[in-house]
Amino acid sequence: MPRGHDATELLRGTLDLLVLRTLELRPLHGLAVADRIRQVTRGTFDVPAGSLFPALHRLEQKGWLRGEWSATGEGRRIKSYELTPAGRRQLVFEKRQWARIVDAMTQVLESR
Amino acid sequence: MALRTRFAALVRTLFRRDRLEADLDDELRAFVDELAERNMRAGLPPAAARRAALVESGGVEQVKERVRDVRVGQAADTLLQDIRYGWRGLRRAPLFTAAAVATLALGIGANTAIFSVVDAVLLRPAPVKDLNRLVMVWQTDRQSGTLREPASVPDYLDFRARARTLDRVAGLAAGEANLTPPHGEPTRLAALRVSHDLLPALGFDPIAGRSFREEEDQAGGPPVVMISESLWERAFARDPGIVGRVLHLDDEPFTVVGVVRDVSDFGVLQILSAAVYSRSFADRGDRVRVDAWLPLQPNPKSYPRDTHGLFVLGRLAPGVGLASAQREFDSIGADLERTYASNRARGVNVEALGAVVFGPVRPALMLLVGAVAFVLLVACVNVANLLLARGTTRGREIAVRSALGAGGARLYRQFLVETLILAVIGGIAGIGLARLTLATLVAMAPPDIPRLSAVTIDGRVLGVSLSIAAVVGLVFGLLPAFQARRLDVQTALKGHAGRQASQGRAARAVTRALVVAQVTLAVVLLAGAGLLVRSFWRLEHVNAGFHVGGVMKAEYQLPRTRYPVNFANFPNFKEIHAFNDALVQRVRALPGVETAAVAGNHPLDPGFTNSFVIVGREAESAGFPEISVRRVTPGYFRTVGLSLVRGRLFRESDATASAPVVLINEAAARRFFPGRDPLGAKIRFWGASREIVGVVGDERFHGLANAAPIAAYAPLAQAPSVNGAHVLLVRTSGAPAALLPPVRRAFREQDASLAVFGAEPLERTRAHSLAERRFVMILLGLFAAVALVLAGIGVHGVLAYGVAQRTREFGVRMALGARPGQVLTSVLGEGVVLTGIGLCLGICGALAMTRFLTAYLFGIAPADPVTFVAVAAFLAAVALAASAIPARRATRVDPTVALRVE
Repeated sequence: MPRGHDATELLRGTLDLLVLRTLELRPLHGLAVADRIRQVTRGTFDVPAGSLFPALHRLEQKGWLRGEWSATGEGRRIKSYELTPAGRRQLVFEKRQWARIVDAMTQVLESR
Repeated sequence: MALRTRFAALVRTLFRRDRLEADLDDELRAFVDELAERNMRAGLPPAAARRAALVESGGVEQVKERVRDVRVGQAADTLLQDIRYGWRGLRRAPLFTAAAVATLALGIGANTAIFSVVDAVLLRPAPVKDLNRLVMVWQTDRQSGTLREPASVPDYLDFRARARTLDRVAGLAAGEANLTPPHGEPTRLAALRVSHDLLPALGFDPIAGRSFREEEDQAGGPPVVMISESLWERAFARDPGIVGRVLHLDDEPFTVVGVVRDVSDFGVLQILSAAVYSRSFADRGDRVRVDAWLPLQPNPKSYPRDTHGLFVLGRLAPGVGLASAQREFDSIGADLERTYASNRARGVNVEALGAVVFGPVRPALMLLVGAVAFVLLVACVNVANLLLARGTTRGREIAVRSALGAGGARLYRQFLVETLILAVIGGIAGIGLARLTLATLVAMAPPDIPRLSAVTIDGRVLGVSLSIAAVVGLVFGLLPAFQARRLDVQTALKGHAGRQASQGRAARAVTRALVVAQVTLAVVLLAGAGLLVRSFWRLEHVNAGFHVGGVMKAEYQLPRTRYPVNFANFPNFKEIHAFNDALVQRVRALPGVETAAVAGNHPLDPGFTNSFVIVGREAESAGFPEISVRRVTPGYFRTVGLSLVRGRLFRESDATASAPVVLINEAAARRFFPGRDPLGAKIRFWGASREIVGVVGDERFHGLANAAPIAAYAPLAQAPSVNGAHVLLVRTSGAPAALLPPVRRAFREQDASLAVFGAEPLERTRAHSLAERRFVMILLGLFAAVALVLAGIGVHGVLAYGVAQRTREFGVRMALGARPGQVLTSVLGEGVVLTGIGLCLGICGALAMTRFLTAYLFGIAPADPVTFVAVAAFLAAVALAASAIPARRATRVDPTVALRVE
């Protein structure tokens, strides 16, 4: 499995947006977040554990995510993350930011 | 709100770390487990599935480390962790820690203490206002070649009237006075006569009352006095109504007008000591504080132009340099020389006050600073070596830690923290040591080191020492980390290869070079100390011309009130002669006393010089230097053991009314009567022609290290003291100290209100006169000892480390049949080579450095071969002993054990 840091190296800052957006619909645990991002982007973004977990913990510390422990059938503890109200506000803000960047980039790229 | 979450996160990071770590463990384990299950479902066998999962995750520990890095307050936590870890590491290596801390403490402590002394004495500005604008105005004498003679009163008045380059010309003269308190024993005070403008010129304001007024500073002015703060305390219990009270000095009443602060010392002792004579209480060899300040009241009638007892201090006018002041005074001096016969061959020497006050101690202090710098260097070298050796043995640890995900920054930080812990502990120990050293230094120091009492540990100095030690520690503490980072983690982890790689050829070379440097520095210091010890030994055994053993002295000054000095009757001062005769009789009758004498000066007191004429050789005599005149009673020669060379000594019959006689010493006989018989010749001074009746040996009364000056001895009965100052010398068959109480009693019986001072065995006076040399010698000796110990530790350390590294090699060699002797030689050989190189370099260095010691050498050359051979042999022995321990260890290596270890 590729380590993910190939042609589509994640833009700095986009990982936060991807994680927030992924968790917008429902709480997920770490591996599920990575899986989901890979599925939705059809494999373009493959987030390695070494990037994913630091991001999750950073967002949690900022108060945008809340970690929730639950027990699995085999007696293991699983930590899933859900958006906090502050996280939702942040997602709205980041989406708007992203739209502006895309807009600006498009204008630059299509200008003659 | 956000702030609160962040704070909560910080608290979690710092105080709930175990919980956080457990959670992180669980979270990642679940992650890997799930990946592994997924791989198994894809058909992989369990073990392979798990390995693939670990590879996919990119290493659990690495992920953890990256998660930890994003935690709030992580930096603080890692630091705490590093400190804990570092502390544990240091405690696991107690020998290394003790050696490093001791080394640092020695370096920092000694450095701080000595630097504080230098700073207080030399570098910190004197309490005097505009020290660098103040100058001493000395008179010179081309005949005797002296450059620092006090001036005469008329010359001083002329300087005052004429000088334009100085905006103030102040005068001072030293003296002593008996203070008779209302109750209690009379005491002796150091007194200073000063012109009214001296204290204001120095910027000293009285703490009570006022300074002298100009009208008080005239010949025949009123008897007023300013007293020191401590005399105010001692005699008047800090009475706020002190101004106007009366003090009895030499039986005469003086009215107190003001109180002078105790710290008001502009270097009186150093100024007086710098002069060729009129040194007064500065010759007493104690830390004297001026207690009574009197107005100068210069009287040219009682102190004519040929009497030089006045010290002149001036302040350069704005914009004037020393050179132009010197030029002006050259012309003033030339003018006076033309005008007055008594100023023949006299000139003026203008010298910066700072040079006079600080000049004499500068070489000693600079020597000490040099020694301290050396010891600090040696200490740093040792710390560096210790850290390097420790660092290289940790190659494997570093490899393990980086394999476990420790980043480069984290590794460096760990090393930094460890070094800092060492520096802090060493620094604290160093401060303790500095305080101890400083207290010892101040107690041991000779009295003429200015302002030593003001010494305190200087924060800046301590800071500088600490920083030097820290920087050295950091550089050498980080080196191993750098080295280790270059290693291939894989190789390092594969056992012994890592250890060998970590020992790094470059690091070994640096370590060896450092040991060589240590030996070099130790040799330089040892050579210096050795030269001083040899000089001191020679000085202790020099033929001084007099004996101090069994002799005691007691000084006194007969006040003119009861012992009048009437020049019309010179030399028949009845009361004075009567007192001295009676005192000698009384003391001679004491049990245990062999002989007793009264003299003007004791044999370690330089006294004064006088011009003289050889009768019949008047023209020639005009070019003669002044001669020291020693006034003694007949018992003097037996009492101090001064030998007669020819002729006769004084007899009781050489009395006041008899024909004047004189003795000269061999130096004077050689100088003035080469190839002729001095006996029967007459020399004239103080208005009388005196027949030379004998020649005596040379007394080194200008200090043991100085050649005996030319001297003439006159019977006290024919040449009485005009200021009443005398010394009683007593020789006893017992201990001189035991004689002090009965002698004091004899004085009291003779004159109950007379102050006796400087009563002590002459042995002690002599020890005092060598105090500075002993001080410097002991200090340098201590430094050399420290350097030697450090160098020994260094040699031992580097060899022991080498042996530990080569355990396997020795094992293999012994297994292949090498004899223990061969192993021993190979280790010792390294020690010998290192020591040899260090010795050679050190001797070269010492030869270059010891010329700075010449001021303290006596009777030996700076390149004294005996000292150098002894130092080399001693150091070689120490180094060999230091090498022998690890060498023996190498021979005891058990091949089977050694080979199994790795």
